[in-house]
Amino acid sequence: MRTIEPWVTEPLERFLQESQARLVLLTTSSGQVVAQHGFSRSLDVMAASSLGAGIMASTGAIADLMGSSGFGTIVHEGTRQSLILAAIDTPRGRWLGLVVFGRETTVGLVQLFWNVLARELLARMPATVNAPPKRAETFERDLDASLRSLFGR
Amino acid sequence: MTDDIRQLTAAVAADPSSLLFLDLAERLRTQRLYRPARTVVERGLERYPTLAAGFALLGRVHCDAGDHAAAADAWHEALRHDASHLEARKGLAYLDWRAGDIAAARAGLEALMHDRPGDAGVRLALAGLDAQSVPTADVTIHEDDAVLAEGTMLVDDAGMRLAGRLQRHGGADVSEAVAAELVGASREAARAARLLGLGAWRDAAVEAATGGLHVVPPTPDALLIAVRDRRTPPGRLAMEAEHAARESRVWLESQG
Amino acid sequence: MKPNFEGALEQLTRVRGVRGAVVVDAQDGIALAGALRDGEDGDALAALAGAVMMRLVRGSDAAGLGPARLVYLRGDDGLLCAAPFGGTLLIAVLADRSANLGLVRLALLDAVGGLAA
Repeated sequence: MRTIEPWVTEPLERFLQESQARLVLLTTSSGQVVAQHGFSRSLDVMAASSLGAGIMASTGAIADLMGSSGFGTIVHEGTRQSLILAAIDTPRGRWLGLVVFGRETTVGLVQLFWNVLARELLARMPATVNAPPKRAETFERDLDASLRSLFGR
Repeated sequence: MTDDIRQLTAAVAADPSSLLFLDLAERLRTQRLYRPARTVVERGLERYPTLAAGFALLGRVHCDAGDHAAAADAWHEALRHDASHLEARKGLAYLDWRAGDIAAARAGLEALMHDRPGDAGVRLALAGLDAQSVPTADVTIHEDDAVLAEGTMLVDDAGMRLAGRLQRHGGADVSEAVAAELVGASREAARAARLLGLGAWRDAAVEAATGGLHVVPPTPDALLIAVRDRRTPPGRLAMEAEHAARESRVWLESQG
Repeated sequence: MKPNFEGALEQLTRVRGVRGAVVVDAQDGIALAGALRDGEDGDALAALAGAVMMRLVRGSDAAGLGPARLVYLRGDDGLLCAAPFGGTLLIAVLADRSANLGLVRLALLDAVGGLAA
């Protein structure tokens, strides 16, 4: 596992152990990668981050059409692997989680321990000055910077 | 090929990224099919190159196949990814003993005892060193010890049999298969009990068509498993399992 | 005809000590229906009950005991009891220490019998 912010490590390790998830990617809504586990290439992280953000944005638009406040969690079930996309509303803005898991665990367990992780992250999050809102064009720059940090380049 | 190996093989073939490769390799190892076991683990480790449990299992396979140098390499690699990995440390202590380096074996086991004071397998291995008997990475009790009644088995938290064995109707030994399935049961039961507000877990049971299974944790890192056919009522099975767990607790303590 | 999950679960919650009952798809660990006291988390019950029960059933399968009809886990402060019916579905019951395992067991088998009929 690699994390940008050390205080994320312990709760995320607990989540991985309890949920038996295979891949986890935690990003801010502006694309900064906070932590990742299981990805072997920065290209995969970049793609997953972009696609995950896109899916959440699309479903948010559908929720608007439905007059709903939004979907906190999206589940895609596959035959061999499944995917959960979930949001955590933090004082620093919305964080997005992408979790991939196989048949050694269940959707219910992954969601249960994701909720525990979200509570722990919110409880541990250091106080910080609110950063100015990021624009879409800074998404890729922030993503590149955090990927370089995560993959040690 | 046994049914469970067939099923696991199909499951891993259907999803090569599944962690079931560990279960499959372990079953193959217990059936003494060392070359296929090694192949399965090595392929799995290509996908999970930092999985300490995979390297620990590879070490077991090499050790059982007689390649102690390769076993040592694998266990050292397991420790590189998880410095506290119990099985890898046990395995290396065993290799020290086999090489005649009793002092190193003892030092390794004593360090383990310091980190895991409740581990029955480590206590047994140290007792074996003291008695100049044969501690092995897979600590078993001699059949003559008769620690447990028929249809009852004691395993450690790695799924290693400590005493007793289980047989299916018809005589087939199912000890390893049952131990492998229930190896995580104690942790899962403890977790469920904790998160659902049930306190410390005491026992668990399955009532099935032809009999019952009852499990009790005599210590936090051991599991007593009792199986009876349907002639034994569930309440009686629970009593017998609890009695066997008490005896196991006393026996485990006597080894340390 | 749609099975009467709600009716079966309500009956179970009337047993002394029962904190809640859910219908779970054990394959997903997701609750399909539930009857719970205030403050009880049906999603957690479904996920955890599904996982531990299926683990125990795999052990009994390995022992060659045939199809499971009831599974339970006892703690110092209560018990979790489950019975499968229809494929991967099961009913899970969570009870406090005032519950009697025998009564919970009978009520659960009765509920499952009614749903499977």
